[in-house]
Amino acid sequence: MFVASDAVADECVQEAWLGVLQGIDRFEGRSSLRTWIFRILVNIAKTRGQRESRSVPFATLAGDDLDQPTWDPSSFDAGGHWTSLPFDWRGLPEDRVSGRETLAVIGRAIDTLPPMQAEVIRLRDVLGWSSDEVRNALDLTDTNQRVLLHRARVKVRAAVEDHLRSVTP
Amino acid sequence: MTTSIACRELLELLSGYLDGALPTDTTVAIESHLAGSDGCASVLEEFRRAIALTGRLREEQVPPAQRDLLLHTFRDWVAG
Repeated sequence: MFVASDAVADECVQEAWLGVLQGIDRFEGRSSLRTWIFRILVNIAKTRGQRESRSVPFATLAGDDLDQPTWDPSSFDAGGHWTSLPFDWRGLPEDRVSGRETLAVIGRAIDTLPPMQAEVIRLRDVLGWSSDEVRNALDLTDTNQRVLLHRARVKVRAAVEDHLRSVTP
Repeated sequence: MTTSIACRELLELLSGYLDGALPTDTTVAIESHLAGSDGCASVLEEFRRAIALTGRLREEQVPPAQRDLLLHTFRDWVAG
């Protein structure tokens, strides 16, 4: 996410493991071990990215839509209430909702997210990290972590909705 | 005296609500809103289910395509 090529990323990982081996005595258990290791990797990658002047504009990584409403404004009246209710898929059969096709739709939706949104939803919802772990690992504020996660989830839910709508007679 | 919130505002707060990260008065306002808005209640339930489904993806189903996207992003950046 912070460097320009797989080769550089591999070097960062090697450097991070060296950092872990050298620093393990200083690990004080204030954060979980996985967060601590990830943080070392992120710091090395950021330093490398700066050194090689290949850092990427924040908007490219985080998404240039962060200050836009997450939901289509035309779904609401002037008072902010629904004008037409969203497609309700709560009553659909479980096997249709949870089938392999739906999972593939979610995977593709995550693929098309801006990188930081994809990384946050991957760590939170695929790997099950806590908000604190993600915040620490990616060096995000509490608010930014939540905004990135929420945007990603809204898009994933919308992709599931579109898919289920298209397969519902 | 409770604050009331509109559907549009509530939808921006769902991830904070599910994390239990919002102030108490906001959480109370959200819960009273959900009790009276079927549209918002359905979105919340679908949000929960979409999160649960995302959790069923295997780790390797997410990163490889993502790496392609990153390379694509970087290529665009170099070109631009």
